[in-house]
Amino acid sequence: MSAAAARIAALRRARPRDLFLRASLLAFAALAVYSWSAGDFSLADLFSERRLANLRSFVAEEVIPRPLRDGDPATTLGAWVRTQWTDEPGDRIAAGRGAAATLGISVLAIVLSWLAMLIFAPFGARSLMICDPYVPNTRHSRWCHAFWNLIAGLTRLGAVLLRAVPEYVWAFLLLAMLGPNAWPPVLALAIHNSGILTRLGADTIENLPPGPLRALRSLGADRRQLAAVAVFPAALPRFLLYFFYRFETCVREATVLGMLGVVSLGYYVMEARSAFRYDELMFLVLVGAGLVLAADVVSGLVRRRVRGA
Amino acid sequence: MGRRGWTLLAIAAAGVLAYLALGLSLDQLIPRAGGLQIARDFFAAALTPALTYEAADLPAGIGPFLLKVLDALRITVVFAAAAMTLALLIGLPLGCLASESWWQGRGRAGGAIRWTVRGFVIGLRSVHELFWAVLFLAAFGLSPATGVLAIAIPYGGTLAKVFSEMLDEAPRRAADALEGLGASPSQRFLFGLLPAAAPDLAAYAFYRFECSVRAAAVLGFFGIPTLGYHLKLSFENLHYGEVWTYLYAMIALVLLLEAWSSRLRRRFVA
Repeated sequence: MSAAAARIAALRRARPRDLFLRASLLAFAALAVYSWSAGDFSLADLFSERRLANLRSFVAEEVIPRPLRDGDPATTLGAWVRTQWTDEPGDRIAAGRGAAATLGISVLAIVLSWLAMLIFAPFGARSLMICDPYVPNTRHSRWCHAFWNLIAGLTRLGAVLLRAVPEYVWAFLLLAMLGPNAWPPVLALAIHNSGILTRLGADTIENLPPGPLRALRSLGADRRQLAAVAVFPAALPRFLLYFFYRFETCVREATVLGMLGVVSLGYYVMEARSAFRYDELMFLVLVGAGLVLAADVVSGLVRRRVRGA
Repeated sequence: MGRRGWTLLAIAAAGVLAYLALGLSLDQLIPRAGGLQIARDFFAAALTPALTYEAADLPAGIGPFLLKVLDALRITVVFAAAAMTLALLIGLPLGCLASESWWQGRGRAGGAIRWTVRGFVIGLRSVHELFWAVLFLAAFGLSPATGVLAIAIPYGGTLAKVFSEMLDEAPRRAADALEGLGASPSQRFLFGLLPAAAPDLAAYAFYRFECSVRAAAVLGFFGIPTLGYHLKLSFENLHYGEVWTYLYAMIALVLLLEAWSSRLRRRFVA
């Protein structure tokens, strides 16, 4: 074996390998194989004769806006879109109202969950929730350690519980209690995102550079003062990034939460579906996609600015 | 007032504006009559999740309740895993084609293809999985495969978007070295860049798997026998203890997956 080949073989032997990653990949591969064999979903069934006929009539007829389909010269496509967008007397849908409600729900929800993060994130940060924050090498009683550990642990546990349940399930449960107004979707989004943001915020606080905080602490600042004067300003840029990052997902989720029976785009989607007006359904779905896209673009621009600042 | 103050004020103003635009009032937050009773019964059941069926008259030959919960979890994971495999099949190639690195050194036509792919990917992910589900229900009729597709398509789009960003941000030293040795653009990408980005890609895919489990659970509301289906039925039959059992089961599952994926991320993504 030449020297070069030996060197390559040695490098290959020394390459980073990780048992946990390999086991994970193997486990996921096994799960994937199992799911396709155990789950009763043959993609072939989707393309059976009956379903294909269904699909053909859906694509070729049902989703085409009515004025185009009928070739009716009385209503133009523009007029059709206008009727879809605005309120019409009768049982017509109103995409504009749905879009506005979707946006309102997501904005209120993200603001509420961001406020929850400002309040709870410090309690989940282990760098603050210790007996003597930002003072190196101090000794304290075991009880003191246990107490602060408990606070941080409980905050993080609460955050995990809130976010482990999907928004849709929260909204479903709240709707039965609060009735059909905009609070169930708002609160559902706010609850789920409070959990996510509190976790992210606590992690951010833990990862703040300790230098300035130690300096302030040695000047006599207590825990509350540290949080208000040093931690919050230092973490704010990250917090803003998270605000807009989660705002995108809020808009996405808010579009569908209406399917449970409160006004957002999803509500009108369900109405169009139950009336078999698939052209209107398609229009509403596209409006939803446009809204999500617009939120993505706006949030992307703002986040770039925040990062640059 | 400094910039920080204005930012906070703008956020607060946005919240107030949304509150007013939605026509909300705070007293709507207090459940009334029927709602209050539901809220009371529901939260009272939180500490006593059901271990057996709550219904009085059970059909004959029905298995134990906890086994049913486990099976609902299994089906949820099966749906999520099937959707994720499809999403990976969609997301990985599209992610490569949407990245700048793939087209590096391949002439000028690449830019146009890349932007077409990016537009397509945006289209896939801008539509929520439940809207995909409704569209597929209308187009194909109810079938388990439609549920899988409904998750796989937007998730494939999201994977493609994030994968392309990760590929472009991966450390390029190995790729540049290969290029210096005369590797073709494909060799450079496959052997220089892809291995460098692989840990990130794997970690993100696992995170999305966790999300897809939640999505699969929610799809149950549309008649697919995942967790959401049973949760909805139990809630509508006022069996709140059972609802809590399903909720706790889902929380446990999500926590398990999260511990798994965060352990992966901690190791490989600094």
